[in-house]
Amino acid sequence: MNTFIRKNLTLLITLAVLTALFIAAAQGMEDKDFVITLLRGLSVGSVTFLVASGFSLIFGLLDVLNLAHGTLFMIGAYIGWTVYVRPDTFVDLLTPLALTLSGFALRDVYPLLSPPRLASARMKRILPWALILVSVLLFGVILPRYPIAIWNVENYAQSPVTYAFMTDQGTRLPFPAMTFDKISPILAIVGLLIASLVGTYGLSLFGKDTQHATRWSWKSFIGFALLLIIALIGFLFNNALTQFLANLNSNWLFFIAVVVAVSSGAGLGALMEATLIRPLYSRPIYQLMLTLGLSAIGIEMVRAIWGRPEFVMPKPAFFDGAGEACPATTFADWWANHCSTILLLDGRVRVYNEIFIPLVGIVVLIAVWMLLQRTRLGMVIRAGVQDREMVEALGINVRRVFTMVFSLGVGLAALGGILAAPSMGLSNTMGESLFLNALIALAIGGLTNYPGAALGSVLVGLIQQFIIKYGQIGIPIPFTEIIFKPTPPLVPASTVLLMVIILLILPNGLLGKKE
Amino acid sequence: MTQRTTSRLPAFLASNRGSLIALLALVLLPFIVGLLDGASPATVFVNGSGISKFIQGLAIEIFILALYALSYDLIFGITGLLSFGHSMFFAVGAYLTGIAIKSFSLSLPATLGFVFLAAIIQALLFGMVLPRVKGITFALVTLGIASVFHIVIMSREVGDYTGADVGLQGMIVPAFISPANERLRFYFVALAILIFVYLLYQRFVTSPTGRVCVAIRENEGRARMLGYNTFYFKLAALTLSSLTAALAGFLHALYQPIVSPNVAGLGFTVTALLVILIGGVGTLQGALVGAIVYRLLDFGLRRYIGESASFINGAIYIVFVLFVPFGIVGTWRMKSLQVKRGWERLAGWVTGKTVRD
Repeated sequence: MNTFIRKNLTLLITLAVLTALFIAAAQGMEDKDFVITLLRGLSVGSVTFLVASGFSLIFGLLDVLNLAHGTLFMIGAYIGWTVYVRPDTFVDLLTPLALTLSGFALRDVYPLLSPPRLASARMKRILPWALILVSVLLFGVILPRYPIAIWNVENYAQSPVTYAFMTDQGTRLPFPAMTFDKISPILAIVGLLIASLVGTYGLSLFGKDTQHATRWSWKSFIGFALLLIIALIGFLFNNALTQFLANLNSNWLFFIAVVVAVSSGAGLGALMEATLIRPLYSRPIYQLMLTLGLSAIGIEMVRAIWGRPEFVMPKPAFFDGAGEACPATTFADWWANHCSTILLLDGRVRVYNEIFIPLVGIVVLIAVWMLLQRTRLGMVIRAGVQDREMVEALGINVRRVFTMVFSLGVGLAALGGILAAPSMGLSNTMGESLFLNALIALAIGGLTNYPGAALGSVLVGLIQQFIIKYGQIGIPIPFTEIIFKPTPPLVPASTVLLMVIILLILPNGLLGKKE
Repeated sequence: MTQRTTSRLPAFLASNRGSLIALLALVLLPFIVGLLDGASPATVFVNGSGISKFIQGLAIEIFILALYALSYDLIFGITGLLSFGHSMFFAVGAYLTGIAIKSFSLSLPATLGFVFLAAIIQALLFGMVLPRVKGITFALVTLGIASVFHIVIMSREVGDYTGADVGLQGMIVPAFISPANERLRFYFVALAILIFVYLLYQRFVTSPTGRVCVAIRENEGRARMLGYNTFYFKLAALTLSSLTAALAGFLHALYQPIVSPNVAGLGFTVTALLVILIGGVGTLQGALVGAIVYRLLDFGLRRYIGESASFINGAIYIVFVLFVPFGIVGTWRMKSLQVKRGWERLAGWVTGKTVRD
């Protein structure tokens, strides 16, 4: 016990000072304000944690600082919004997307095909590029002609802002009807499939020498078959599916939106890792620049597709009810009406923002913790964080684990995005501020430490919310008459200052391991 | 003795042919553009107008960007310190110049003195952090310091001085160097400063101090093992870099009508990173080449594509990272070495002599 205290003296003193600050902050305000501020802090902390934990998992195992993580958080939110507000767009997109991706699902099969017999080395060098060119041309011809019902960023009446507003008001705008009039449906589908297969085969020829040929089994085709089935369903039952989703209860639709956002985030992450980041493992600085570039591209794409103005995402009905007994004081009242707010110590608490998000945060915290501690994959990840070469030497396919962890991390960020969307709203800049929060949280807690990510995120969330609250009620400075009111710029500045101070005292963060 | 001096000059000219031609081209550029634009030979030395003036303006922007990129190359490319707070060095120079001239109506030399003083102080501030944190943590701490600075200049409390989120404007530049009326003079001042700083940097990199800085980039532990106190070398590089960036900021504030708060943000640090990535990390010429390519590209894209130019920027970024990792200058050097080898081999084959590889 004594040695423990002596070893972690700095940490304990820092934690004691933080606790004292927290208690002092609690003394300065009324009970109801305190509870609300605490819950808000936990809410911001949870969203930050979802971004930070994924980032730290990726950094810990792969040594990749994924600076596009904030952008992926934002993309998750926008994708979820699309499913939730415009299910017809989502259904229309199913077929082309599944067909485009189907080629990637066959990447285990390509190395087994016998290499093309070509006369000269030059032909061999040109072939992959030629295949990719053919594929890009096919995509370029077919995709613009493929009918996808989408909003119009230029026209305000059909812009995402209007769709979001009308859905929030409870009356959906009618979805525009789309038909195959520029291209025949069979041609479009077969063409997309061929384009995808040709393109991914061309890509696979690049790494021909380094790939190990393993035996194929029916498992290699599962992904491909699944994608084909999705594509067929999306094509054959387009109208029925749209009708079904449009008439669905908003809670279930929200659930589907979350699932789609998380899985597309995970898929995007896997794609990023496999195609762009993998060639750069030996050049760490370049990974950094690559992810910065990806981040810029991602923001620009979001601007091009969804437009620049901010818009809202309606809350699911489960958290958005109103009735006689609202704001609810008892659980039974709340359950009967699904009130959007409840009364806690006479203070109004928004259920979705301040209770549901922290709850999800805690569930994810525990789930990922269990994954890391109790499963074989988690064991490999933890071992890989400690010593990657050793894990490779033990004969474990670390490549595959890398891809899984990357997609897990991005999936967590996308989950954060879609969860935060109903409370924060959607904007082009939502990723940046949250990513800065997450970086600060990680620096405070320890860059590769999972509990550290949680601790840092909660600290960042609490500090920000308490300073916002004190900006409203003011801090009386002792022995003077002055009441100090922190201004909004102080909110991010305070966490940054805390980070700098903590890093100067403990260079590896609060819970980071010592070198 | 006389023989040596006579043989020295041609040798110097021969070995620096490329740089001298580039210098000559830059000196002549405003006049040539002026002549092409239709100015008579008599009026071409007077301040230009129209397209000539515009080209001069673009060149001045490139010079300022090149200065800034050089300063980032010194700490990132040469010394190997990854700082995400570099835009603060630039912004301090720009804002201090604006505030000193606008709010305190100081003279230019006094302003420059204050800017340099502030640059040294902030280099010491960053240096204070140096011995404690390394690598990525240093990047985060510098990002933190710079974003606090960004937030402070954006806040309404200091809006009287910095202009908050609109930016600093309404500064009256002394008439003898005003970019509106005396742009040709401004052009040559900026060019002279750039050349001076470039030569200074070249001297620094080839000096023993600079060599130690390169050693720190390659392997800090080994440099320390050889008995160098690496902290002082890093601090020296940081101070020189900070001074240069502040000088670039000083010129920027004089040249631009508005100092936007964007120059203090993370995006502007990324610009420096992009410039030296295009040019070639760790090569001083790379910063110059990168600045030219970046600015012209940016200008062209914004002119012909419009708002989504940063999409193309990001794509170029990725293409360079994946396919041209050594930048234009780095790749050029490797290729020219190969070509030279090839010529030597050909000459050896013709004359029947063997050439060392």
